[in-house]
Amino acid sequence: MTGYAELHCLSNFSFQRGASSAKELFERAARLGYRALAITDECTLAGTVRAWQASKDAGMPLIVGSEMRVEDGPKLVLLAEARTGYQALSQLITLARRRTDKGCYRLLVEDFPASTEGLLAIWLADDDAQHAPWLQKLFAGRLWLGIELHRGTDDAGKLRKQLQLAQACDLPALACGGVHMHARGRRALQDCMTAIRHHLPVAEAGAYLFPNGERHLRRHEELAELYPPRLLAETLRIAERCTFDLGQLRYQYPHEVVPAGHSATSWLRRLVEDGARWRWPDGVPVSARSLIEHELSLIAELQYESYFLTVHDIVRWAREQHILCQGRGSAANSTVCFALSITELDPTRTGTRMLFERFLSRERNEPPDIDVDFEHERREEVIQYIFRRYGRERAALTAVVCSYHAAGAVRDVAKALGLPPDQVTALADCCGRWSDKPPSAERLAEAGFDPNNPLLRRVLVLTGELIGFPRHLSQHPGGFVISEQPLSMLVPVENAAMAGRTVIQWDKDDLDLLGLMKVDVLSLGMLSALHRCFDLIERYRGTRWTLASLPAEDPATYAMISRADTIGVFQIESRAQMVMLPRLRPKTFYDLVIQVAIIRPGPIQGDMVHPYLRRRNGTEPVNYPSEELVPVFERTLGVPLFQEQVMELAIIAAEYTPGEADELRRSMAAWKRHGGLEHHRQRLTTRMLEKGYEPAFIERIFEQIKGFGSYGFPESHAASFALLTYASSWLKCHEPAAFACALINSWPMGFYSPDQVLQDVRRHDIEVRPVDVRYSDWDCSLEPGGAVQPAIRMGLRMIRGMREGDARRIETARRQRTFVHVEDLILRAELDARARERLADAGALQGLAGNRHQARWTVAGIEPQLPLFAGQAPIQEAPPALPAPSFGEELHTDYATLGTTLGPHPLTLLREQLSTLRCRSSRQLLHIEPDRLVSVAGLVVGRQRPQTASGVTFVTLEDEFGMINVVVWRDVAERQRQVFLQSQLLRIDGHLEIADGIRHVIAGRLTDLSALLAGLDVRSRDFQ
Amino acid sequence: MLWACILFPQLAMDGVLRHRADADSPLALLAGPAQRRVLQAVNPAARAIGLRPGQSLIAAQALSQDFATADYNPVEIEHWQQLLAACAYGFSSQVSLHYPRCLLMEVHSCLSLFGPWPRFEARLREELSALGFRHRITVAPNPAAARILANVHNGLVITDADALRQALDRLPVQHLGFSREAATAFSRMGLRNLARILAQPRDSLSRRFPAEVLVQLDRLLGIRPLALDFHRPPDVFEQRIELNFDVKSHQALLFPLRRLTADLAAYLAGRDSGVQRFVLHLEHRAMADSQVQVGLLRAERDASMLFELTRDRLEQLQLPAPVLAVRLAARDLPRFAPERRQLFDERPQQSLPWEQLRERLRARLGDEAVHGLSACADHRPERAWSTQSSIPQPISPLRPGWLLAQPQPLREASLHILAGPERIESGWWDGDDVRRDYYVIQTRSGQRGWAFRELGSQGPLMLHGWFA
Repeated sequence: MTGYAELHCLSNFSFQRGASSAKELFERAARLGYRALAITDECTLAGTVRAWQASKDAGMPLIVGSEMRVEDGPKLVLLAEARTGYQALSQLITLARRRTDKGCYRLLVEDFPASTEGLLAIWLADDDAQHAPWLQKLFAGRLWLGIELHRGTDDAGKLRKQLQLAQACDLPALACGGVHMHARGRRALQDCMTAIRHHLPVAEAGAYLFPNGERHLRRHEELAELYPPRLLAETLRIAERCTFDLGQLRYQYPHEVVPAGHSATSWLRRLVEDGARWRWPDGVPVSARSLIEHELSLIAELQYESYFLTVHDIVRWAREQHILCQGRGSAANSTVCFALSITELDPTRTGTRMLFERFLSRERNEPPDIDVDFEHERREEVIQYIFRRYGRERAALTAVVCSYHAAGAVRDVAKALGLPPDQVTALADCCGRWSDKPPSAERLAEAGFDPNNPLLRRVLVLTGELIGFPRHLSQHPGGFVISEQPLSMLVPVENAAMAGRTVIQWDKDDLDLLGLMKVDVLSLGMLSALHRCFDLIERYRGTRWTLASLPAEDPATYAMISRADTIGVFQIESRAQMVMLPRLRPKTFYDLVIQVAIIRPGPIQGDMVHPYLRRRNGTEPVNYPSEELVPVFERTLGVPLFQEQVMELAIIAAEYTPGEADELRRSMAAWKRHGGLEHHRQRLTTRMLEKGYEPAFIERIFEQIKGFGSYGFPESHAASFALLTYASSWLKCHEPAAFACALINSWPMGFYSPDQVLQDVRRHDIEVRPVDVRYSDWDCSLEPGGAVQPAIRMGLRMIRGMREGDARRIETARRQRTFVHVEDLILRAELDARARERLADAGALQGLAGNRHQARWTVAGIEPQLPLFAGQAPIQEAPPALPAPSFGEELHTDYATLGTTLGPHPLTLLREQLSTLRCRSSRQLLHIEPDRLVSVAGLVVGRQRPQTASGVTFVTLEDEFGMINVVVWRDVAERQRQVFLQSQLLRIDGHLEIADGIRHVIAGRLTDLSALLAGLDVRSRDFQ
Repeated sequence: MLWACILFPQLAMDGVLRHRADADSPLALLAGPAQRRVLQAVNPAARAIGLRPGQSLIAAQALSQDFATADYNPVEIEHWQQLLAACAYGFSSQVSLHYPRCLLMEVHSCLSLFGPWPRFEARLREELSALGFRHRITVAPNPAAARILANVHNGLVITDADALRQALDRLPVQHLGFSREAATAFSRMGLRNLARILAQPRDSLSRRFPAEVLVQLDRLLGIRPLALDFHRPPDVFEQRIELNFDVKSHQALLFPLRRLTADLAAYLAGRDSGVQRFVLHLEHRAMADSQVQVGLLRAERDASMLFELTRDRLEQLQLPAPVLAVRLAARDLPRFAPERRQLFDERPQQSLPWEQLRERLRARLGDEAVHGLSACADHRPERAWSTQSSIPQPISPLRPGWLLAQPQPLREASLHILAGPERIESGWWDGDDVRRDYYVIQTRSGQRGWAFRELGSQGPLMLHGWFA
């Protein structure tokens, strides 16, 4: 029997040790004619699923194992012979990992279970027999002595000693390679990773580096030179014994979700029927009834009841705690989910053509995927509920494998090659933020590097190799895996960086491959805001709205959206969205779904926005590439916008099976990093050409598929988001005061600062009242005001540096009795110096102590009262001779302490000066004809350089009437870099462009007018 | 008493600029951790292109790539402060570094020596400008006031209390030397200058502000004195002898050298210290000094030993040009601890102790010729030895004791290979990648050697070392 199986091999999931991916390892092992390959990453199974995939691709058997060092004990390679062995291994790793902080492990002798049935062990001994007895007892008949020869100082001597040891202990010996890389060519990268691991430059890491590059998958002849044949042959015996395959793992849903006496099927039906009666109290409509029956039968057929029941259980609990939530993702927008309250999107009412089957397919042997968004501030409660309900043994978060992007890779490599920190930073800056390519020669030259310098070339080559390597495991924000058995029997569980969290070693792609159930518990700030808004309205008007009860398809709301009057609204508030709204003029819910999805890198890069726009506005005929594709593209006027459409296209036009189409989806998400779209291109092209599609159309479709890249936005997500967009728009339209109030109370969230939200609401004629300890709560609140809309009372939370506890004590003390003077306030609300000063400076004591100067003087003079003198009137002092704050001072202090002002906008004060400079206001701009030369000025509130727009920066200026959109082309920005980047108050000379009702000033010249702001006050201070 | 305050608004920057020829091109001093470098100071040229102190380096680079950077070095700053204090000490014996980045000096008592203030001031400014430090000078009846006035004035001279009060009254509260919190509190109360503050009743102020605020007010008005630590000149020995003629031979330098070393020894004895390191400067016309560095293993102060050692070193030096002056500078002056000798010294008469032998060898042969041997963590044999490293590491027994400086081909036919190959592949990072298979060989004569063959090469074995 000849041949060899490598039984000790690390992949790059042994972070900073293994210098090759499982794919590379398996491909080389297959080329060299190995009989099997074990992937034995150090105390981890995080790379196992990828190795499994690579093994299937290469047609080379995988042995699952792990290398571990027992504390004060031997170094072992453990291999899973059978499923029981795999489970034991997973549990061992869990024990060793849970004992320490993230990233480390401690394996103790006592961790080994009494029975290690199904687990084989290779002992990597260092000439010392002391561990032999217990190892032999533990792994009776399943223990080998591994001999690793790497052309070291004295291989012959080592081999002799090891064979003696094997004989002395009566153990079979075998050869293994201690492989760290697939081929010798990775030696430099491996050295470099070692240096990174030890935080040393390579040149100083000599003591840790391997003396040569022998730790790769060696050719059989090379091995035969080193090892006696029987040591090589022995590896095959192990390879034959190890029959475990990852596919043998079985997952069971948790039992709790089905009460006794019910089957999963009957219980799901019962819950859906109850839900349907509650959703449709006047009787379930026929359309809904048939959908329910259809969906339930599909669920039963695929045996996904428990999945729906599990999600339902989480959502039910959240609703009981009054936590707002909304499901999205495949399967979420079904009638069943609507009945189960997993989604608020009524599938019978939306008029969309979304079909449940598209999200849950018979052919795709993969569990459904439902993400649930919860209120941002209360998601932690939901997470803790899940841990409570299923126990830490059975519920854990999924991992996220953090991989090297270009910037991180170049940073680590450059550091390891000894570049000084400033240059390391400069190099990292040469990479785009999420780029996966080493910086280009031009970019480097621009930054002052010589791309031909040998050191820099070394950095770039190694960077290229390191990019895409996993770097560490991190926790998924909310992806839960829940199972019936302890999870550690399925996959090792380790501690997360965050206290009280445990994470499994697999990420969501791994789970998908193995068909494990996952629920994403995500968080959304807008849900918090909506909840607050509903509460505010109920308190003020007595009406309780819910996401489902808001009037649908309200024309006033759509009219507002079409005016781009959407500051604060979910998803369609960004400048790019606002520019598009008057062009698309959404009129129905499905228009909103498109609106949400269209302003994204995918459609923008795929150049789908403008064709859609033209077709919608009737300036381009709607046509379809073929009759058979009409149903697919009808709803988007023949333009592919959604991921689902591309998949459907593949199924219909290129005869993909649904399973293959799903693989296409996966490839779309991953091609940037891993490539692998090429065979899809060939397949799509050949098959579509056969069916008579135009080559140009095929080419365009493929470009669009690439454009989707990592950004592909599925229709199902867009629909769920659009529901929140509609709800927030409706509230902004009909309850603007409550909506603004809720937004500010939920801040930070969204694009706009509280200042911008308040200015917006004031432009809508809603009264905003100042912070005042006599009336303000911690939160902003509603007070009776105008005829329809209440006034907004600014909350104490607006005061910079104010602590919530102080504010809450003020609320409590005020409820008992109104404050008679400042001393009364301070003593009863127990305010320390910091709190009083904040209140005085913010002007919140106006009603008790007069202007800011007086208030600050007064609070400074209040001394802690001794119990003996309690209740005495304050010490009488002569009234101080303090000047009143000037207009400009008030303005500056407003911005400094509250971040906003209720007085005139700073530009009101400067308007006269600006007029003499011939600067127009945003209001005047509305009446100017296009292509005219104009000058405008405003506070710079935004500078955005979208990745999708080459070289353009969108600058937003704010004046007393609103916003001005400015486009600054790269040459202008470069020429006037300093003014461009540093102005607070900026003047633009340029010309006005109008397209579809959107006005842009195209900048020709920039002037810094910030000095005018300083002139408002003797002190110069930052405005924002 | 009359106090001058000399404020150096750009101390760190000027300290760096005085070494640079291109003082007018943009320069920024950087501070902060490597991940977040921040501009600490900028020169006017840098200011003109938009750089500001406090900016992050990244933000600055976004503005311009055309500026030089240097480190902001607090140690340097301390050094310059000492230098400036020493300079001021030439004018007044009461010089204080009480406030950072400025000098306080009592000037009233010096007026008789240096003439009326304007002349005195002109001389001071001339000297400071020559040193390359921008400065602002104010004079006031008390040091605290002089310091505060220097924040906004330059050249202001106030000699009486009334004028002082007038000048101080108008100063903004941020410049009065209060803590940031107190200054903020005052300005938030609308008390934006000293006049407004002093208009408030004192007990109202004392109820609202910590005691330091009132102390500072009193100091400014001269009601309460400021306790100052006065500068003492540093403890260094520096002496220069100008020669009467151009000296071209070593011989002629020995006499002044003997005097300098004798003076040094006397000085050391006087302050009970020794010297561990000193420099003999030989000054030439129109070129940099030649320097003779003398380092000792331990502090010494014996005149003849110092002279002998210096002479040994001096004699090795080629004089590049005639010498005009010699200067001896000693900064490292640790305490002297005489060696205890046993009453009956057992050492043979002629032998030298190891340390002295080593020093003698180093002095005679040069520092480069005598060094220790230690192992270095590098797999490449030629780099595994280091002559500088001071931390000795064990050298592997399987490595030869004598490594050849240059490997040489082994032409001997009847070699016997004892062990190997041991493969060494390392060093790619410095462009000197080594890929070799090493063998232990035995020659016909029984010598054991260490030889290698480049990986993939068919050539002869290269001998790299001999085993002992």
